[in-house]
Amino acid sequence: MNFDLTDEQNVLADLAQQIFDGLSTIERIVDVQAGDGFDRQLWNELAKAGLLGLCVPEEYGGLAMNAVELSLVLEKQGKTIAQVPLWASSVAAMTLAEYADTALQALVLPNVSDGTTILSVAIANIGANDAMNPSGVATDTDGGVRLVGSKPAVAYAQYAHFVLVSAKRADGSIVLALVDTDARGVTLNAVSGSDLQPQANMDFDVVVPTSHIVAGATSDGRDALRWMHERALVALCAIQLGVAQGSIALTAEHVRTRHQFGKPLSAQQAVAVRAADAYITTEAMRVTTLNAAWRLAEGFDARQDVLVAMYWATEGGHSVVLAGQHLHGGVGADISYPVHRFFLWGIQISTQLGGASQHLARLGKLIAAR
Amino acid sequence: MGRSISFQRLLSDRLSETIQDRAQRTLLGSEVGKNMLMHIGDSPEEAAFRDHARTWLAQHAPLYSDDASQWHDDLGGHITACKKWQHVLYDNGWAGISWPKQFGGRGGTSLQASIFAEEQSKFDVATGSFAVSLGMVGPTLMAHGTPEQHAEFLQPMLRGDHVWCQLFSVPNAGSDLANIGTRAVLDGDTWIVNGQKVWTSFGQFSDYGILLTRTEPESPKHKGITYFILDMKSAGIEVRPLVQITGVAHFNEVFLSDVRIPVANVLGQVNNGWAVANTTLTSERAFIGGGGSSWTVEALIETAQKLGRTSDPRVRQKLAAAYARAQTLTYLGYRLRTASSLGLMPGPEMFVMKLAYARHWEKTMDTAMEILGADATLWGEHSIDSGQWQHHLLSQFAIRLGGGTNEIQQNIIGERGLGLPREPSVDRDLPWRELVKG
Repeated sequence: MNFDLTDEQNVLADLAQQIFDGLSTIERIVDVQAGDGFDRQLWNELAKAGLLGLCVPEEYGGLAMNAVELSLVLEKQGKTIAQVPLWASSVAAMTLAEYADTALQALVLPNVSDGTTILSVAIANIGANDAMNPSGVATDTDGGVRLVGSKPAVAYAQYAHFVLVSAKRADGSIVLALVDTDARGVTLNAVSGSDLQPQANMDFDVVVPTSHIVAGATSDGRDALRWMHERALVALCAIQLGVAQGSIALTAEHVRTRHQFGKPLSAQQAVAVRAADAYITTEAMRVTTLNAAWRLAEGFDARQDVLVAMYWATEGGHSVVLAGQHLHGGVGADISYPVHRFFLWGIQISTQLGGASQHLARLGKLIAAR
Repeated sequence: MGRSISFQRLLSDRLSETIQDRAQRTLLGSEVGKNMLMHIGDSPEEAAFRDHARTWLAQHAPLYSDDASQWHDDLGGHITACKKWQHVLYDNGWAGISWPKQFGGRGGTSLQASIFAEEQSKFDVATGSFAVSLGMVGPTLMAHGTPEQHAEFLQPMLRGDHVWCQLFSVPNAGSDLANIGTRAVLDGDTWIVNGQKVWTSFGQFSDYGILLTRTEPESPKHKGITYFILDMKSAGIEVRPLVQITGVAHFNEVFLSDVRIPVANVLGQVNNGWAVANTTLTSERAFIGGGGSSWTVEALIETAQKLGRTSDPRVRQKLAAAYARAQTLTYLGYRLRTASSLGLMPGPEMFVMKLAYARHWEKTMDTAMEILGADATLWGEHSIDSGQWQHHLLSQFAIRLGGGTNEIQQNIIGERGLGLPREPSVDRDLPWRELVKG
């Protein structure tokens, strides 16, 4: 048994931290938000360092790494709430590398590593939001599959060149298609998200050529969708882990240095204890995320592990950013102070692919149903 | 090797030299012991050890099943069962798995010890009354004892000959553990001890105790403390059991009147007992947090299934939450053991474990009561599963309050995990003699 990171993984995490710390400062985030919301300078730096190709096979210029390494990098992104579509692009790239045929991989992946092609994933559905029961309708047609439907709040979709879209045929089988965002019949409407990052609602009535069907062209693409969904969930867990740490770091600094009644705030036990609770929860998030990522990387069944990690990321992550906001008192209410940004990210991730009760309901069904 | 070449590309000249140096060393594989891959589960050697342990346990453990005596009121019977089983472990080379061979142990790793404990917990064998001796006193003796003390106490401890108790807490001091009033005065070659101790688990059945006393009242409270090994059969000791909420008299008050202890039984240095006590307390926290409980979430799921409660989505969600909490404990434990197996000091997970465990216990027993419904109001053999869930609900207080209360753990996390300033302490540097005492 060995829960430790390898040196290679530690170096990778250090590298990511150095890049995010260097560029994603609060001043720059404010500037980026005043622009189009996409930190392209950071994106280019990530490309130069090879991190956009983290999960791209080596023959397409990537590092051929896996869910554990992706989690380590995304954790650092969360710590600095950096405005780049790294999780969506990486999960899409992993899915293409696993399921797409060689021709489609060769067409898309080389430009993912160098940052010129941006990918996203459309997993959430309007309404009950069961990822495995997509609301988009797929119909087989000459030369491809016609997809009709809508996907809400697709991360950075307005800047993406391709979006991986899930849809369901009348017979219940699932299609996973790489949709060109410039294709006729695709409409993207930018919407504001609670974490202040760019996202867009996606409406589509589009024929996707067979060459761009990633899974389910001739059969049921259900396994591919589950594969992608599990990795997306763990990616969000990893970002949330970083967000929780960022919130706690600001909070510890605040309660250590702000004096009231002649002593630091943290000398009040009620304050110190609440901060300690947030810390405990963050450690629970860390071990469950790492475990789920490792099981995915090893190809083991991780259905329960992913849900456990997601439960901690949603319920636990929410409680951590709430404590951070609360312990800042009035200081946190001033949006020129950054802590509220961690709160907003925490809330967004807590609900993005289903809330805690949904994850618990699924886990309960897996472990206890009879 | 393809990976290394790609990885090298990743290093651009923007990187700090420290990271580049580390990366170079990684690629050369020169950093000792750190190039193993992450593996959250048994390695082939560990799996082989687990198989070996499981096979042996399957042959022997069922013969020593203790049924439910541990959550009923027959504490004496429970201790007899513990002693029998520990003898069997000792005779077959399974006692003290991670203890060095020179002390009579198996000379294995802490990972092997926890693998064995995991497998053993699947059987109904009694182990509880050796928590103090094997979990706390053993590690303290090995770290601070003299060769004579090692020779006298460690082997019988492993064999399960003796039950040990902890005589640390004093009435009125509560969480302020260092505020010890039990006095010890040197008289020739013996110390004479007077005072009172409380919350002494298994005191009425113990052969030996570990005792903290005040030997230099002029020093600040953490300084003038001396740590003794006490023969519980010495004259002048009176043990009064305290019946607890569970109905069991697990704790005791211990009154010490002119009790004589030979100087050879001082553990560590005179007046340096607080440092010795910290070894014991660290072992205690790790032990309480390390699980070894007699219930699992799986057992509760089985009970819920037996009662036809798992079609209720609320029950399922609560079971799922319990399962999610249990996973964090498992993996925090793995991290702890990874650190110790690499010879590193464990990080924050050490402080977190005990607290997370206590909360898990509390919440899961609330869930159990909800699942049991009206049955939850029954007691002992009249209830489902011999009343174990009711017993566990009531025994949560031992977990929450023992080994430093939840709040004391949170203070430690604030200071050591988050780097918050130490709590202002007015009495730290004053002579103990001048402190206000309860």
